Amino acid sequence: MSVSTETAERERTAFAAVELARNPGRPRALQVISEAFTEWTEMRGDRLFGDDRAVVGGPALLGNRWVMVIGQEKGTDAISRAVHNFGMPHPEGYRKAQRLMRTAEKFAMPVVCLVDTPAAHAGVAAEERGQAWAIAETLMTMLQLRVPVVSTVLSEGGSGGALALAVADRVLALENAVYTVAPPETCAAILYRDAGQRARAAAALRPGVDTAYEIGLVDELIPEPTPGAHAHPTVTVAALRGAIVRHLDELCTVDVDTLVQRRAARYRAAGG
Amino acid sequence: MDRNPDQVIRRQDVARPLAAPGPKLRPVAPAGTVECGGCGRRFGEQRFEKHLRVCPHCGRHAAVPATTRAGQLADPGSLGVVRMDVGDRDPLGFNDGVPYPSRIAQARERTHLQETFVIARAAIAAVPVVLACMDFGFLGGSLGSGAGEQFARGCELAVAEGRGLVAVCTSGGARMQEGIVSLAQMARCSAGVVAVSRAGLPHISVLADPCFGGVTASFAVQADVILAEPRARIGFAGGRVIEQATYDRLPDGFQTAEFLLAHGMVDAVVERGVLRDTVASLLTAFRGSR
Ligand SMILES: [Zn+2]
Repeated sequence: MSVSTETAERERTAFAAVELARNPGRPRALQVISEAFTEWTEMRGDRLFGDDRAVVGGPALLGNRWVMVIGQEKGTDAISRAVHNFGMPHPEGYRKAQRLMRTAEKFAMPVVCLVDTPAAHAGVAAEERGQAWAIAETLMTMLQLRVPVVSTVLSEGGSGGALALAVADRVLALENAVYTVAPPETCAAILYRDAGQRARAAAALRPGVDTAYEIGLVDELIPEPTPGAHAHPTVTVAALRGAIVRHLDELCTVDVDTLVQRRAARYRAAGG
Repeated sequence: MDRNPDQVIRRQDVARPLAAPGPKLRPVAPAGTVECGGCGRRFGEQRFEKHLRVCPHCGRHAAVPATTRAGQLADPGSLGVVRMDVGDRDPLGFNDGVPYPSRIAQARERTHLQETFVIARAAIAAVPVVLACMDFGFLGGSLGSGAGEQFARGCELAVAEGRGLVAVCTSGGARMQEGIVSLAQMARCSAGVVAVSRAGLPHISVLADPCFGGVTASFAVQADVILAEPRARIGFAGGRVIEQATYDRLPDGFQTAEFLLAHGMVDAVVERGVLRDTVASLLTAFRGSR
């Protein structure tokens, strides 16, 4: 193969991986909540401005343990995707998440986050209401939360919008998910001034969660059945549930001061 | 990334290499002139620096290199830049025609900085602080793992020596060339801020033009007090990105410091001429209450 054919092939493969992560049949947060948890009661609203449907959450039973589950929901059809804004939260979504985290802390409930967003919403209203402020404050909240936190990247973890719910004691990811600084289209627009070069950006920036695993930002990759979670979502959710329970079992034996110290140390060292 | 360059002070950047080869080749004209990016008027470089790089005619606040900024804020004679070797980093082996390590090397040569931050010990109104000043000239002030390490060490220095933290933030956002590693820096810097906060030390953030992306969405707005320079463009997503993504019409003054003040996102818009005094008053107040 010539060098250029090889490059084209590598870019094609890299972007195919991004498309696999974007397969609409992959398990969404609400599906994980309904299949892996019981007794879920939704809590809505940020008590400041509104209720962002891109973020859903509330207390639920995971086995015999009460937890606070908070997820980014992308929606499953045209209408629900619009309702949930394709999983792209506004500031209200992050502020609702903070509120639920504080409630979890009050009742010593572990927090389980389901990360599933291409990016935080980019829009006039989001900027007016402090998108950056909301994300920054969520990072601070998660770093100091005095309960165990387990986050899982379901399909796409994109930008600070994903990281805001992924500062945790354990970060898991479904193995075909992507975890990126920004969607490949945005990266291409910034790096090459051409969003059309998204495959090139995908090849260069290695968005697969294996990269995040290598640098220690993700602790465990949850295997997906062939050809991917979209083909067998229920099997995938069951595997994920097992992993979350196992990590919570471990984390719940750790003294809370140690837990918070370790979390701070982990992110202090993030990225080498 | 330098997608948001102000293009204010390019003349001076051009003048420097001419002067560089040695005293013999020094141009006849004095050190050079600066053209205001707002009104287009030209000023002698010295006069411009004396005005803290604010246009004496139209008031436009031009970009300030990090070292100069630290000097503007510190009490005379109190500045001690902390030498920090953050090493060479290229987590993804990134190459877009020019290998990423070469881009870093070029930025280092151009700016005489190790990375995006200048970290310094200083006193402001006799209150001991750590200054963490970003340099937009260093790859657009982008946040990579080297810069993240600088900021985190700056926070640790503040905690170890009981100093306040004064951060001057100007950045296009995450350093794309480091991919997911650059995203992680938002959490790393936040962990630094948590440590400063837990130690009960004051943290003041100054937002300068431009400030976007992962920098705004982390340490730039996690301070006790957030000040912004006049007309500075500040936000999460850039205005052009928003227009393209949503077809929203951008309101007048969108994402300016004044716009954010009106929306309750910053404490004050402060002209550079009184920035040092404003920071000094806040530090004095917070120290006095302890
Ligand atoms: Zn002017």
